[in-house]
Amino acid sequence: MEIKKYIKLWWFFARMTTKVAFQSRFGAIVFLIGKLLRFVFFLIFLILLLTKTNVIAGYSFWQVIFFFATFNLLDTIPQLLWREVYRFRTYVARGFFDYILIKPVSPLFRSLFGGSDILDFSILLISVIFLVYAAGKIDITVFGVIGYLLLLVNALLISLSFHIFVLAMGILTTEVDNAIMLYRDLTQMGRLPVDIYLEPIRGFLTFVIPVGIMMTFPPKVMMGLLSGTMLIIAFLIGISLFLFSLFFWNYAMRRYASVSS
Amino acid sequence: MRKYFLIIVNMWDEIFTYRLSFAMWRLRNVFQLLTIYFLWASLIPKQSVLFGYSQSLMLTYVIGTSFLSAVILSTRTYEIGDNINSGNLSALLLKPINYFGYWFAKDIGDKLVNISFSLVELFLLFFLLRPPLFLQTDIVPLLFFIITICLGILLYFCIGSLLGMIGFWSPEVWAPRFIFFILIGFFAGILFPLDIFPKPIFNILQLLPFPYLLFFPLKVYLGQLSMPEILKGISISVIWIFSLTYIMVLVWRKGLRMYTAYGN
Repeated sequence: MEIKKYIKLWWFFARMTTKVAFQSRFGAIVFLIGKLLRFVFFLIFLILLLTKTNVIAGYSFWQVIFFFATFNLLDTIPQLLWREVYRFRTYVARGFFDYILIKPVSPLFRSLFGGSDILDFSILLISVIFLVYAAGKIDITVFGVIGYLLLLVNALLISLSFHIFVLAMGILTTEVDNAIMLYRDLTQMGRLPVDIYLEPIRGFLTFVIPVGIMMTFPPKVMMGLLSGTMLIIAFLIGISLFLFSLFFWNYAMRRYASVSS
Repeated sequence: MRKYFLIIVNMWDEIFTYRLSFAMWRLRNVFQLLTIYFLWASLIPKQSVLFGYSQSLMLTYVIGTSFLSAVILSTRTYEIGDNINSGNLSALLLKPINYFGYWFAKDIGDKLVNISFSLVELFLLFFLLRPPLFLQTDIVPLLFFIITICLGILLYFCIGSLLGMIGFWSPEVWAPRFIFFILIGFFAGILFPLDIFPKPIFNILQLLPFPYLLFFPLKVYLGQLSMPEILKGISISVIWIFSLTYIMVLVWRKGLRMYTAYGN
């Protein structure tokens, strides 16, 4: 029943946010074009690069495109679902968070899912098309696809954990905007497989940040290039980060001081 | 002049009011630099050449774009739109101060803070990474490098102000700026030097204002342009600055006639 209620609520919030976004159709369309351009521009860069090098870190053209499409998918889904995080600073700084707290809804759910951006769905669609097309051009197995899907879920769990960390930090310091953009900047390092980076950067990106686990591991398992040990480590890191983010959120909530008065 | 100097000083205070926010902003810049730095360091091994760039030249270019971003691309003109929409413009209009002079002084303050921090960051990264940098020792390219930076600052100020003045006609000032940031990231040469494009595309890009913000000054610094090419680039930048300044004044006058100062 609880899950049903929250799905209904999410749908309600998403519809309301879409209506607000379309109040200024000009803005909505321009933002959408901007996102499409960002996707196309990096694709052009990759094509330019691969016309000269043929391979990047041992990966062929379509494998690189598959990495990039996976990155886009994992970059877009969190923006689509957890867009409300980008507005969270205002809620805390102006005291609106008090209104969220008095509602019979989990404040974490409301702060994460309260403003899903349906506009990002078009970018998501493009990523999926690229993903499927590129997957058709590389050798894949059924086990690879299952592993890929599981690691996508794991990557989303890591992303969700970072979003929760940012929310908790927002409660403690009111700093949200740059923190969430910092997360985005870090994940940009996963637009290409982290294998292109030299050690110790590669190790740092894989296990410390962990952009590699999020962006590089899923395509690698699909291509049969990831060991079982790495798969287990990836899930362990994903689950640990998620549990720790929940702990940090609860810690921050106990220290929330309203400013609305 | 004293009032503009005070605006510059106040800008420092304003930035350091939100210290954590500024620290995070700088941290973001460092990570953005590192992303592109390591990407190119991996793509061009030592002793190799790609797109006509050795590792040393490419890494100098990458670090150069980071520094020039602090000098040229740091701005406060993004506040102009909100200033108009919130009605705060009225207060500025009543003051004995030139509106564009006010924003330019704010820009200078912002640039000085960003340049100071960028220098410290680059200094630290230099000692940590020991990149094989190319140091220009010829005085002529260095002089032209300074001239092109000054032109880049003026050009970016004109473009930023024009985008801000969209606020006279629409409350939606962030969407056009968002698309502008994406265009800048690509066409100014932040991700890669523009001359890796095929020649016909590169020739068309040279007619746009964007390459003269980062790409052109850095090519001048790297000593990869002949004197006629430098003079051609400077001429195009100057034409753009004059054209945009003219448009800026026209838009400002037209915008003021539309301005209704609601909110105050």
